[in-house]
Amino acid sequence: MLGIRVGAALAGAVIATAGLGAGVPARGAEAREHTIVIEGMQFKPAALTVRRGDRVVWRNQDLVPHTATAAQVFDSRTIEPGASWTYTAGKAGSLGYVCTFHPGMKGTLTVE
Amino acid sequence: MTLSKIAIAAALLFAAGTAPAQGTGPTDPQIAAIVVTANQVDIDAGRLGESKAHAKDVKAFAEQMVKDHTAVNKSAVDLAQKLKVTPEESDTSKSLKKGGDENLANLKKLQGAEFDRAYVDHEVAYHQAVIDALDKTLIPNAKNAELKALLEKSRPAFVAHLEHAKHIQASLGKKAG
Repeated sequence: MLGIRVGAALAGAVIATAGLGAGVPARGAEAREHTIVIEGMQFKPAALTVRRGDRVVWRNQDLVPHTATAAQVFDSRTIEPGASWTYTAGKAGSLGYVCTFHPGMKGTLTVE
Repeated sequence: MTLSKIAIAAALLFAAGTAPAQGTGPTDPQIAAIVVTANQVDIDAGRLGESKAHAKDVKAFAEQMVKDHTAVNKSAVDLAQKLKVTPEESDTSKSLKKGGDENLANLKKLQGAEFDRAYVDHEVAYHQAVIDALDKTLIPNAKNAELKALLEKSRPAFVAHLEHAKHIQASLGKKAG
């Protein structure tokens, strides 16, 4: 029982330490790449959870230009049809983002 | 306004009625011309909206229509070239163009909030008519798989524009009330 508690405390300490370096992959894990496809005027998947340091690629497979924009945090600006844009997850938390061109398009990126 | 809405709906829905002798609906070259014309009509209205709209959200909507319908048209023209399909005029494409010209002539006479309301009302009716035409006539009649796929792919943009236009229409209604 005590062993488990100590283990949990240690793990917590490691996470806290990793948390100090912004943009550094947590717990020494390999940074992964995630793709959000923009298709049919939607972000797919609409909700995605990643780790800090992971790359998130928005790929526009629609016929019209879009953006992926989270106020104050990231802004792809225009992503033309067939083009893509990459954001490296830095700031932890759950972040709502939109396409500034199409008010109905919304997504959530959660960074752990 | 009501007359022009009817004209558009009639033009698009008659697409099936203007079929060649074998009579099942428009051919692929005719569909290509209908799509290009439908987009161009909305680009032309959007250009007028960019310069004449009074409310900020109406102006932004007009800019968005120019941007999106230009992009859709580029895909349509690129595909037609790739497939070596020469867009062919039909009664439907001609009626669309005529309806678009009438709408422009009507809008040019209006100013300020009156312009905004007429432009947005027309956009709501127009996008609804285009979606109906896609569902009932254009998608079912497209023979080439890539053309059919392009039509299906363009549909969500028209739906999003319709929702956007309805949202603005509701807010303009509130301002007036």
